[in-house]
Amino acid sequence: EDHKLTASELEGKYGTNINRGLSSARAAEILARDGLNLLTPPKATPEIVKFLKQMVGGFSILLWIGAVFSWISSGIQIAQGADSPFDNLYLGVVLALVVILTGIFAYYQEAKSTNIMASFSKMVPQQALVIRDGEKKELPAEHLVVGDIVEIKGGDRIPADICLIAAQGCKVDNSSLTGESEPQPRSCDFTHDNPLETRNIAFYSTTCVEGTATGIVINTGDRTVIGRIASLASGVGNEKTPIAIEIEHFVYLVAGVAVSIGVLFFIISVSMRYQILDSIIFLIGIIVANVPEGLLATVTVSLSLTAKRMAKKNCLVKNLEAVETLGSTSIICSDKTGTLTQNRMTVAHLWFDNQIYSADTSEDQTTQPFDQSSPTWTALSKIVALCNRAEFKPGQENIPIMKRVVVGDASETALLKFSEVLLGDVMSIRGQNKKVAEIPFNSTNKFQLSIHETDDPNDKRFLLVMKGAPERILERCSTIMINGKEEPLDSEKAEAFQTAYMELGGMGERVLGFCHLYLPENEFPDTYSFDTDSMNFPSSNLCFVGLLSMIDPPRSTVPDAVSKCRSAGIKVIMVTGDHPITAKAIARSVGIISATSETVEDIAKRLNIPVERVNRREATAAVVNGMELKDMSLQELDEILCNHSEIVFARTSPQQKLIIVEGCQRQGAVVAVTGDGVNDSPALKKADIGIAMGIAGSDAAKSAADMVLLDDNFASIVTGVEEGRLIFDNLKKTIAYTLTKNIAELCPFLIYIIASIPLPIGTITILFIDLGTDIIPSVALAYEKAESDIMNRRPRNKQKDRLVNHQLAIYSYLQIGIMQSVGAFVTYFTVYAEQGFLPLSLLGVRVDWENNDINDFEDSYGQQWTKYQRTYLQWTGYTAFFVSITIQQVADLIIRKTRRNSIFQQGLFRNKVIWVGIFSQIGIALILTYGLGHVTALNFTPLRFQYWFVAVPFAVLIWVYDEVRKLLIRRYPGSKRVFL
Amino acid sequence: GLILLFYLVFYGFLAALFTFTMWVMLQTLSSDIPKYRDRISSPGLMISPKPDTALEFYFNRSDTQSYAEYVSTLRKFLESYDDSKQSQNINCTPGRIFDQNDVAIKKACRFNLSELGQCSGKEDKTFGYSKGTPCVLVKMNRIIGLKPEGEPRIHCVSKEEGMVEINYFPPEGLIDLMYFPYYGKSLHAHYLQPLVAVQLAIHSNSTKEEIAIECKILGSPNLKNEDERDKFLGRIAFKVQMTE
Repeated sequence: EDHKLTASELEGKYGTNINRGLSSARAAEILARDGLNLLTPPKATPEIVKFLKQMVGGFSILLWIGAVFSWISSGIQIAQGADSPFDNLYLGVVLALVVILTGIFAYYQEAKSTNIMASFSKMVPQQALVIRDGEKKELPAEHLVVGDIVEIKGGDRIPADICLIAAQGCKVDNSSLTGESEPQPRSCDFTHDNPLETRNIAFYSTTCVEGTATGIVINTGDRTVIGRIASLASGVGNEKTPIAIEIEHFVYLVAGVAVSIGVLFFIISVSMRYQILDSIIFLIGIIVANVPEGLLATVTVSLSLTAKRMAKKNCLVKNLEAVETLGSTSIICSDKTGTLTQNRMTVAHLWFDNQIYSADTSEDQTTQPFDQSSPTWTALSKIVALCNRAEFKPGQENIPIMKRVVVGDASETALLKFSEVLLGDVMSIRGQNKKVAEIPFNSTNKFQLSIHETDDPNDKRFLLVMKGAPERILERCSTIMINGKEEPLDSEKAEAFQTAYMELGGMGERVLGFCHLYLPENEFPDTYSFDTDSMNFPSSNLCFVGLLSMIDPPRSTVPDAVSKCRSAGIKVIMVTGDHPITAKAIARSVGIISATSETVEDIAKRLNIPVERVNRREATAAVVNGMELKDMSLQELDEILCNHSEIVFARTSPQQKLIIVEGCQRQGAVVAVTGDGVNDSPALKKADIGIAMGIAGSDAAKSAADMVLLDDNFASIVTGVEEGRLIFDNLKKTIAYTLTKNIAELCPFLIYIIASIPLPIGTITILFIDLGTDIIPSVALAYEKAESDIMNRRPRNKQKDRLVNHQLAIYSYLQIGIMQSVGAFVTYFTVYAEQGFLPLSLLGVRVDWENNDINDFEDSYGQQWTKYQRTYLQWTGYTAFFVSITIQQVADLIIRKTRRNSIFQQGLFRNKVIWVGIFSQIGIALILTYGLGHVTALNFTPLRFQYWFVAVPFAVLIWVYDEVRKLLIRRYPGSKRVFL
Repeated sequence: GLILLFYLVFYGFLAALFTFTMWVMLQTLSSDIPKYRDRISSPGLMISPKPDTALEFYFNRSDTQSYAEYVSTLRKFLESYDDSKQSQNINCTPGRIFDQNDVAIKKACRFNLSELGQCSGKEDKTFGYSKGTPCVLVKMNRIIGLKPEGEPRIHCVSKEEGMVEINYFPPEGLIDLMYFPYYGKSLHAHYLQPLVAVQLAIHSNSTKEEIAIECKILGSPNLKNEDERDKFLGRIAFKVQMTE
């Protein structure tokens, strides 16, 4: 409402004085009342909460339960005065340590990826020029208060919401607020009821492009328009990422199996008349065996490896889980400017000699391919070079022309670079053709004119050059240059001009017309004094030379990326504030609207029928105007999103982006949204994955986004998608690999309980597999290359394509896992048999075997064993079991490299990290058995070397079995009988 | 249905494979001696009778019921040492290892119960429990092929001095080398391991006291008795408490 007030009313309202400003004392009072002029950063989760979440998330709860049970049972044992009460105490401590260490690890990983982002949010402290106590002062912008009088000039960021009281040629760039990049004029006149539209308010965080202005601060900090939007964004809830849902699903699955088997066997062991205490200890063993302790850490590492890889490809991921979200994306809502396009005007077409020529619009042009032999071109190029106020900033001689910084507006910059490429040193050409008079471009006359001396010393005539809106230029012309000759501009030629103009305009390009006139020497001698105000020179009956059209051309990598998206089943929707024609032209040139598809309007034009009569179903493409969108119901929007595969939203406001995103999400899609403005932040938050622009993006957008695109390039999103899909596939492999050996760890407990054999593998030993030998191999699977072109299949269905589906679990648990168990049990029985305990003699011996007072336990050969000798043998059994699992996990690792392809197709050596994995696995096992075999607490013993090979046939069997499965799956694709 | 059949076949196959590999493994084993004996290089000591609760003897010398369990255990244990059972056993040369490596049928050496003197159960059917001189048999675990060096003997000490007097049968607790080596259950079916009876003459003023006894095997350099972790390797500790 402040914008409706006059300056003096404002003065009264805020108790200030336009000339003297606030007094320092008053300002300090208001500052104390309103607080600093800052946006409150979004509430971050306290570090301790994040840390505790890691401590109790996932399987940690199960392990905590295991630890608590261990302590309880050790407490009972101590109370009972048992011989070794501390074993369970230690086990509890180890379990707790495992939880804490993996928690710390996950927290550290998480923190590391967040830290990359932190560097982004650091900003240079902003200064503002304020009038206080009648003096101009430089103050930090945070200290501004309502009522302060501030002065701004071109290049400044507006330090608060201000109501202008004086302005000279002031223009602001509101793109961070509205997304419109066209600078908007600002004056002190109240022009519109809506504060967002009126000219006399400049908003916090927008920039002043040119001119100067003075204004009264009317809002500061969170009360500014931007502040209100930013707080709106923080209100949009953060959805769970798809991978988080998947991992949760997986944790439930595994925990469900663990708890149900645990409880089942608890009941079994109680009913088998085991003591409750023993049963509890069994329960702990079953839980530990069932829970893949290292897996969540592995997943975190794999994700952060991918995040690192993506960062190299210019996708900076803030939230690790977003890595995968990108992979499951099914719709990308992309900005146009800067993301799909190069964000700079470039000359795209020329029309002269009645012919359209195309220019090269790629990022690094050095020459232009079109025919430049015509004398008309010579004339045109001269106009282009001379009738231009843009200049290169000095000192850039060694920089490629296209990358040089130019002072001047977008079109002039395009023209300057264009002529620099074609003519060489434009500045020296301008020097040789000295400018004697100039009328700069303005919105009323819509042309720019300048008069030059010529560089031909024999030609004393002045050259008048002019460029501007084509129709205005044509109005002023009576002749047209064809092949270097001036010809009268008859209706036929005017018609040709119109056609060309329409054609270029129809491509969404900004068209400029160029004309010139050599002033007769007798009327305008070289001493003639030109006066631009009185226009003492002709400005009509000129000679029309040609048209140039400009566009912000698509990035050269984008069409390829869009077609990749298309084959990957990802719908690309363009959302832009630009004009529909331009938007559609760019959409066509990058393939968002493919060459063959038509919009309703196209069909209407082709069939020559009114738009209403076109069958909307026939049109695959749609260009929706923001104004239409405003009046649309949700159903209508859904219909559009549903029925058209190629959609462009033009003239949309950033607010409408949120509506579009929500519409896409209603279709069940995983939506990625790009954005840069502050106003985009609600949409970025709402999207499944918000992608902020690294270069053009505002801080608010970056903080709302899950990912930052460092090069603002759409193609980088696609590489990100590829990485995301790959990691999803590879995580499946990792999980399958990890789950398999859980059965081989669980079976010993079950058989121990049921058959009462000496315990085949200890809880600590299991932890050494889960957190020792298996870690590096399972991370190594993250480096696996894709089996087939992952960008050729549709995005995964959130409901159907689970990370861990039943087939995977069943195949790992009931097939490969069982095979592993058999192999390990063979080794176990071999060790015992070769030491004197034949397999059958082991059945049912548990109670005596574990009795501390029986020290003459007889084996199958009549020898007698003390308790410790038996225990030592039992440890040897653990070690043998451990080694067998390790050896078979090598086979498991090799089969998990691929899910469909034979290992011969995939190659064993393409993923070198797998080999690191295999060697580490065996290396760690060797160290544990031979290096640490004498440390009693670890329950490892040095093992006879041949026992390493007992399980090898089973490892080979696993591999052959899986190769057969893969062969079947390739032969009979789609068959449900084939597992996984 | 088909899936069930698949798993039936699959697990059937695995079971068969398991059985087959176990069978192959068992074929590589000798039925006479285990392939490795490295986990039992040195024998443990054990006593008979072995009380149910830990290794603690509690009895009342005047209450027959309180030691009936011990007596019957001893009696049962010594049954196989009865002369009638030892008819096939030969008298070996004392003091020398009885090497039968070259003989197909391994003979067992006779162990005369009379060697156990008052603890043989012949004169005193209660093995001294009724008299306050309870007998405990100490035996060394059987280990195939073990040949003790030197002159192995069992020596027991009571931690509390002056409470108990310890007598050994055979005298000095000697274990004769002629009972070694052992050739395993199948080759050496009638083998009897040598026994040492330890008679604890508990002083009358020490009744009701818990007496800790530790027995060790001494005199043989290759029989370990000081292992830190294995409290039963070449030694055994037990407690006796007698009331009246």
